[in-house]
Amino acid sequence: MAILLIAEHDGKTLKSATHHAASAAARVGGELHVLVAGQSVGDVAAAAAKIAGVAKVLVADNAAYAHNLAENVAPLVAELAKDYSHVFAPATTAGKNLLPRVAALLDVMQISDIVAVEAADTFVRPIYAGNVLATVKSADPVKVVTVRTTAFDAAAETGSAAIEAVGAAHDAGLSRFVGAELTVSERPELASAKVIVSGGRALGSSEQFHGVLEPLADKLGAAVGASRAAVDAGYAPNDYQVGQTGKVVAPELYVAVGISGAIQHLAGMKDSKVIVAINKDEEAPIFQVADYGIVGDLFTVVPELVAELSK
Amino acid sequence: MKALVAVKRVVDYNVKVRAKADGSDVDIANVKMSMNPFDEIAVEEAVRLKEAGKVSEIVAVSLGVKGCEETLRTALAMGADRAVHVETDAPLEPLAVAKLLKAVVEREAPQLVIVGKQAIDDDANQTGQMLAALLGWPQGTFASKVEAADGALLVTREIDGGLENVELKLPALVTTDLRLNEPRFIKLPNIMAAKKKPLDKLSVEELGVDIAPRLTVLKVAEPAARKAGVKVANAAELVAKLKNEAKVL
Amino acid sequence: MIYHAPLKDMLFALNELAELPAVCALPGYEDCSVELTEAILEEAAKFAEGVLAPTNRAGDAGSRLVDGKVVTPEGFADAWRQYVDAGWIGLRAPQDFGGQGLPALVALAAEEMWCSANLAFSLAPMLTLGTVEALLHHASEELRNTYLPRLSTGQWTGTMNLTEPQAGSDLAQVRTRAVPQADGSYKLSGQKIFITWGEHELAENIVHLVLARLPDAPEGVKGISLFVVPKFLVNADGSLGARNDVHCVSLEHKMGIHGSPTCVMSYGDNGGAIGYLVGEANKGLAYMFTMMNHARLGVGVEGLALSERAYQKAVEYARERVQSRDIGAADQQPVAIIRHPDVRRMLLTMKAQIEAQRALACVAAAALDRAARHPNPEEKARNQALLNFLIPIVKGWCTEAANDITSLAVQVHGGMGYIEETGVAQYYRDARITAIYEGTTGIQALDLVGRKTAADGGRVARALIGEVRRTAEALSADAQMARLAEGLRDGAERAEACVAYVVDEFARDARRPAAGSVAFLKLMGLLLGGWQMGRAALIAKERLAEEGADVAFLSAKRATAAFYGAHLLPQVGALAASLLDGADAVLGCDDAAF
Repeated sequence: MAILLIAEHDGKTLKSATHHAASAAARVGGELHVLVAGQSVGDVAAAAAKIAGVAKVLVADNAAYAHNLAENVAPLVAELAKDYSHVFAPATTAGKNLLPRVAALLDVMQISDIVAVEAADTFVRPIYAGNVLATVKSADPVKVVTVRTTAFDAAAETGSAAIEAVGAAHDAGLSRFVGAELTVSERPELASAKVIVSGGRALGSSEQFHGVLEPLADKLGAAVGASRAAVDAGYAPNDYQVGQTGKVVAPELYVAVGISGAIQHLAGMKDSKVIVAINKDEEAPIFQVADYGIVGDLFTVVPELVAELSK
Repeated sequence: MKALVAVKRVVDYNVKVRAKADGSDVDIANVKMSMNPFDEIAVEEAVRLKEAGKVSEIVAVSLGVKGCEETLRTALAMGADRAVHVETDAPLEPLAVAKLLKAVVEREAPQLVIVGKQAIDDDANQTGQMLAALLGWPQGTFASKVEAADGALLVTREIDGGLENVELKLPALVTTDLRLNEPRFIKLPNIMAAKKKPLDKLSVEELGVDIAPRLTVLKVAEPAARKAGVKVANAAELVAKLKNEAKVL
Repeated sequence: MIYHAPLKDMLFALNELAELPAVCALPGYEDCSVELTEAILEEAAKFAEGVLAPTNRAGDAGSRLVDGKVVTPEGFADAWRQYVDAGWIGLRAPQDFGGQGLPALVALAAEEMWCSANLAFSLAPMLTLGTVEALLHHASEELRNTYLPRLSTGQWTGTMNLTEPQAGSDLAQVRTRAVPQADGSYKLSGQKIFITWGEHELAENIVHLVLARLPDAPEGVKGISLFVVPKFLVNADGSLGARNDVHCVSLEHKMGIHGSPTCVMSYGDNGGAIGYLVGEANKGLAYMFTMMNHARLGVGVEGLALSERAYQKAVEYARERVQSRDIGAADQQPVAIIRHPDVRRMLLTMKAQIEAQRALACVAAAALDRAARHPNPEEKARNQALLNFLIPIVKGWCTEAANDITSLAVQVHGGMGYIEETGVAQYYRDARITAIYEGTTGIQALDLVGRKTAADGGRVARALIGEVRRTAEALSADAQMARLAEGLRDGAERAEACVAYVVDEFARDARRPAAGSVAFLKLMGLLLGGWQMGRAALIAKERLAEEGADVAFLSAKRATAAFYGAHLLPQVGALAASLLDGADAVLGCDDAAF
């Protein structure tokens, strides 16, 4: 049977998390369909149709789906899922919000946050903050799976799938979207950035956090992240948080500035291809995972690095 | 309104868990156990709502082995009014937990259920959403702010890219994120008082729930450790290495 | 500078060695249980680790005196507020006055945590509890009702004003005067020094307990009375009245525990500080002695607590610091220094003594609880005698060892240990005072040979030595513990010879046993600590055979006990020799030769 993949989008654009989840789904094999639920999401559907390996894009275009409210979308997905062997979604906050609700409606156990596909019913997923990887096999008729996007490459955009309208409107009438306060940034999104500059509590204040890190991020075309300590101290907004309980990232280059490297932070970035650490404490655990380390005062080293990159 | 919080007994946050040598499971014999940190936030939020006059009674529920009593006593010392322990030695997956909680909710009839967004042992992040689905309730997941309004709940959710505000009809379910609150240190007199608060026992059989697992763990293993690299002297050397050696610039 | 409360070892010492369940069964402790104790200690650990420990480093910068007011280090005021708010001060404070009235044994474990986390801070609650104890036992109902409810909750703090410039260990020299007034109060004048937490703004009021002389008092120790002198006078309705004529005139510059203000207190600069007599006139020193056992036990625990914190820091460093290859290994790669035999020897020397001291302190605390509450008068008396004997040993041994252990922790750090920024040096400096205050080691040792050994003809000492022999006997079937068993047997024999020497010589020429008294104290500490490690090894073996046993902890306990037998107990012989054969060398040296 086929696999249904839930598209990640903001109502206007398709997010690359979908592409990563698509390549995880491709490891299972079988026909891949993408569901785009939302309101006026024609562009999103068109973008989804281009994902390599996608056979069909299903579009549920309805006001009830406008803000991705799980109370409304879950019944739609559960209804569609009867014709599929698998339901996949990226393990983004949207995917994590929606899919367990779908799984419960289907009376199946979800497999969360997979990092590898071993077989159509067998997946690898991190537990205990990534200290351990568990290989689990599902006995359920439908496999409901969320995908850790950093563990899979993005599928190419070489496809041209058919687009088909589906589904009745489900307005459960339980919840209402009031508004969103999104962090406006010119920078790439943390979850998909190729380069991330991340700061810790050693930055000392919100002003210094932005003042020191942003010139470096600008030079590198990087997204800016933060440790939990820096977020808790109020130096950076909460969606900057990299770590087990924040965002799990795996960029090409991760620059950790003034981050000591608590295990929860390492769990969120240790799969980065190249890690650079700048810290004045040479014993800081971050150096144990860093490919390149500079022991020094970040307030000196970072401006020097910016100057060096400008040469 | 009455609030119900679910608390899970997990390996303490500070313990570094390892896989058993034979790869059959993780080795957690005799390690320190504590309340799941996200559930601590859930209890704290319920207590704050009670202190603000929005909640009248707090029932804490835990499912699992005998040791969960300790976790429930902690919840009672934090300010829950009574506790319900569904005692079983059987392993419980999130779906089974959600079903058991649904049965308890049906007995207790709370207007609000608060649970942690995930447990730090299985990192599943499912139970709250599943319970809301089974109850047909709205869900405010990953909450960083909860306000009780007339017949409704305003929840600020932490989402990728920022915050989202939703309004939920009561009864409703909330799952907690880290920044919802900072749990209090428990007061000594409250620890003493907690042992006198009621702690009721229920069995899986009484609740009539099928808890048979759906997943089989085939293997657990530790991920390959990342090796420490080299220290470089200055920014110039770093840039050179990133360009020529790592080739990421 | 992370601190992790050693909960497992504490619970082992409490439950297995000090028999907490039996203590909880004593009249008045019915509310206590093993489960409750675990719950309390877990929360205490969170508090010590999360609130107190982070303030320790800032505390090292010290308190300052500004315009007669003490400015405490950053974070202390907030930590105090949280400490009081959480009710921790009430652990062993009387239930009638707002405390929880828990056993000293349970409180001791929490107190170790406070001291490990921040010794300077922990002195404020410790002194407050001392004040509570003194007033509870000796003050009039009126004084108790006025002061105890607010001391037991930490709303007010307490201090002990004993020392004067000319009256240190010898309190017969106290000169502070108290003159009776028409209304039944007294006016005090004089100067007290070394007053810990004598002035601060953490609490609304400070209740000073002051030793002073009445105008008609006899000379010497029999002419000293005890007074309550509040910083702010207390009105009849309990509200605070006028500022009393007692002021902090300067702060001492100390070697350690910088966070606690050590005050010079001046009484009566403006006509006399108003005070109230506690109990009867001229009995002040005797009153002070009633709470001395608990206070000295507490200081022993301070030493133990600093040893524990320093040990944790040393282990952490030894695991991380990579230097030099593993001696004897083919691999040339440098390894973490914890692999090096001498570093292991240092770490085990710390660990073994800490565990033995914790166990012995817990046994003493259990004796204190039994002595206070046991329904059977014989058991009560037996435990009081046991406690009296153990107190100078716990105080003297744990604090002397704290100096060695914190020094070893610095040593493990190599040159980095000598650098203040590393942080371990603070524990070393902080530990130094513990062997001095509340009776120097010399005073403890003199107490041990005189009042505690010679006075009863060595009865309690011999009974304890008999216990050591029984444990050695039980261990003899345990192959892994052969050295420990042998060390205990041999040690018991030497200790018995020492007791006989002390009893005989003390009557003949007290200077002779006094010359070897510290050796005797250390010998008894080492031997009785070894006895506890022996008991622990036996219990651990039993527990290991049980299903679901905590193999890692119990095996480590046995390995530590074996180290104690192999490396520490042999010192008993040397200590015995210096007591038995060393007096002439001490006394025979001419004063001019120094």
